[in-house]
Amino acid sequence: MQALRKTFKREMWYVLFLVPGLFLFTFAVIVPLVTGARYSFTSWDGISSKLTYIGWDNYVNAVQDSDLWTALGNTFKYAIIMTVLVNVLSLLFALLLDSYLPARNLFRTMFFLPSIISVVLTGYIWSYNYSQGFPKLFAAFGMDVTSPLGNPHYALFGLIVVAVWQGIGPPMIIYIAGLQGIPGELLESAKIDGAGAFRAFRNVTLPLLAPSITINMLLTLTGSLKVFDLVYVTTNGGPSFSTEVITTFVYKTAFSSFKAGYGMAMSMIFFVVLVVVTVVQVSIFRKREVDL
Amino acid sequence: MKKKLGLGLTVLLLTAVLSACGSNGGNDGANNGGNNGGTDTTAAGTNDGAASGTSNAAEPAGDDAEPVTISFMHFKSDVTDGIAKIVEQFEAENPNIKVDVQPVKYDDYYTLLKTKMAGGDIIDVFTLNAGGQTKLFHDGGYLEDLTGKDFMSNFDANVLQEQATDGKNYIMPLNAGPIAVFYNKKIFADLGLQIPRTYDALMAAAQKIKDAGKTPFALGWKDNWTLGMWLSRDLPSNAVLVDKQTDFFDKLEKGEAKFADDPSTKTMIAHAQDLFKFGNKDQLGVDYNGAVDLFAKGEAAMMYMGTWPLADIQKKNPDLYNSEMGYFPYPFSNDESLNKLEFNPDASLAVNSKSEHKEAALKFLAFMASKEGGDAWVKNTNTLSYVKGTSTDIAPALKDLQPYFDNGQLYNSQAYLTTTIDWTTQFSQNVQKVFFKTATPDQIIKDMDDWVSKNHK
Repeated sequence: MQALRKTFKREMWYVLFLVPGLFLFTFAVIVPLVTGARYSFTSWDGISSKLTYIGWDNYVNAVQDSDLWTALGNTFKYAIIMTVLVNVLSLLFALLLDSYLPARNLFRTMFFLPSIISVVLTGYIWSYNYSQGFPKLFAAFGMDVTSPLGNPHYALFGLIVVAVWQGIGPPMIIYIAGLQGIPGELLESAKIDGAGAFRAFRNVTLPLLAPSITINMLLTLTGSLKVFDLVYVTTNGGPSFSTEVITTFVYKTAFSSFKAGYGMAMSMIFFVVLVVVTVVQVSIFRKREVDL
Repeated sequence: MKKKLGLGLTVLLLTAVLSACGSNGGNDGANNGGNNGGTDTTAAGTNDGAASGTSNAAEPAGDDAEPVTISFMHFKSDVTDGIAKIVEQFEAENPNIKVDVQPVKYDDYYTLLKTKMAGGDIIDVFTLNAGGQTKLFHDGGYLEDLTGKDFMSNFDANVLQEQATDGKNYIMPLNAGPIAVFYNKKIFADLGLQIPRTYDALMAAAQKIKDAGKTPFALGWKDNWTLGMWLSRDLPSNAVLVDKQTDFFDKLEKGEAKFADDPSTKTMIAHAQDLFKFGNKDQLGVDYNGAVDLFAKGEAAMMYMGTWPLADIQKKNPDLYNSEMGYFPYPFSNDESLNKLEFNPDASLAVNSKSEHKEAALKFLAFMASKEGGDAWVKNTNTLSYVKGTSTDIAPALKDLQPYFDNGQLYNSQAYLTTTIDWTTQFSQNVQKVFFKTATPDQIIKDMDDWVSKNHK
């Protein structure tokens, strides 16, 4: 008992270090979430000083709002394509850069570099590339190209290209780390058993990489579901709503149409959607993981 | 390992200390602000007394008065340097007043302003647009009543009336400008084209320019506002002047009218398709700067725009700027007598009713309303001022418009937009569907009506 109390006294000290983090989390996440939830039951316009409570009206309207569903559709289209592309590509790069490639450190740096640039800057660079750079470049070869961001049929894909270009770095690093954690003797014994390169990858590398895959899938999916900055600076939802994602839609509703209450309600709905997606995804991928 | 742990702990502690400092700093700031506010209100009070005692208190009330800083937020970020110069001039004359200028891009301006206001941040002086936005801020109780203030007499009574909210002036008109079509005189002369005075003539000219292998219109429609600016002028002009739907926007506001009822909606969509057809390649991929570039390089023959790009064009192509470009009113209809010059108010100034430095803020407004301030405005921002008697000579191209100014052939289509519904952005997105044939004009009109009824019950 005495010993326990002593340990407690000694360890209590560390709790102190939790305080800043807890403080930040409370005031930057919990408090806004709660006030946001409160606003979602009002018809607040975002500026007036009095609140009128209207019950669940905002939520009922949101579910019936076809624009919201279109935006959700765009968001998921964007996020799913992004998740697949980013993971496949970064895994490929990781495999390539994990092998004995000359100057691989240089290449790792190069592929990681776009992730360091701020999204706003990336948006401007690519807007310029698409509307000025590429047309001029291809014109030199006699080809006539226009900016995909100016065409509703291609705008979302134009954005995905930019996001993939920028988003490939961090997952690649995680995959490289995962690959380096796989003991060489396992691959070697697979080789001795007669497995080819693909077979070894499929049956040895991939299962052992599962934890990395889980975390990367999760990070890219939730990250791209929440995309805002890139869309906002490049297309701002246009042309003809083809890149209107949920976050830009909520932003416009809350700030341009003066319906902060309604915008809050939609954010809350999106919050629930995000939680559900994350839980489902993690539980699926966790099952596929194997321990060493 | 231990070392690393130690380092980590130090960093953590440091952040804690720093964040503590930060919050303390904030508190201190707030306290100081409060204290300052207190003393300043009394100062302002005494100044007020002085002002009412000696009717003309334009001179500094006394050099011993405590210096104050007023914040000034504006959306004319394209002329940030010009406004900085005007403010310098004001500060030189009022050594006790410092102006903290905060330029914000127009697209983000109202969001930021609203957020600041709602968050209790007090901006002393800020720009507003007459109409819906002013009403919104007035309803929120943020605007000081400027009706009958001395400096307001420097403006034309019509202008004041036009910018009044519920019969009172909460904003001071600042600048105005024509929105019309710039054209390349050389291209027009080479093809033997006259200045088109009707819509059909404009399109016929565009066809000829296109046949000659040039771009008729420079469109920067990647930036939503460029399309929105055109659309929110073509539609009300046609609705009120051609189709005589004078109360259309009133009814729209009340939910008594639909876009489908107004024939000019279809006219506008058809016009938009024409412009799109005769526009530069990649109409929705090129932004405002790209469009100005096309025009400045002489690749495009016409550009529907306000006077903002003039400084840019002067820099990019001085020859074009000096003698080879002209400016004509946009002919929205086929009735020549209706096609007057669109002349719109741009920014107006408002004083925060909760400002702690009202006296200084009003002095700033008085300066902007003086002939001196007006001239400084015209000189530094290349837009026209509403102050009586200021010069209109901002660019050679504007001389073409002189007859319209002289004959009073001006109109302001924005005054017809008597609705708080911000339909412009929504409509400019919808109309893009028609460009790419993903929807018919009837469909998007229906979508617009659904959107209005959904958002404004």
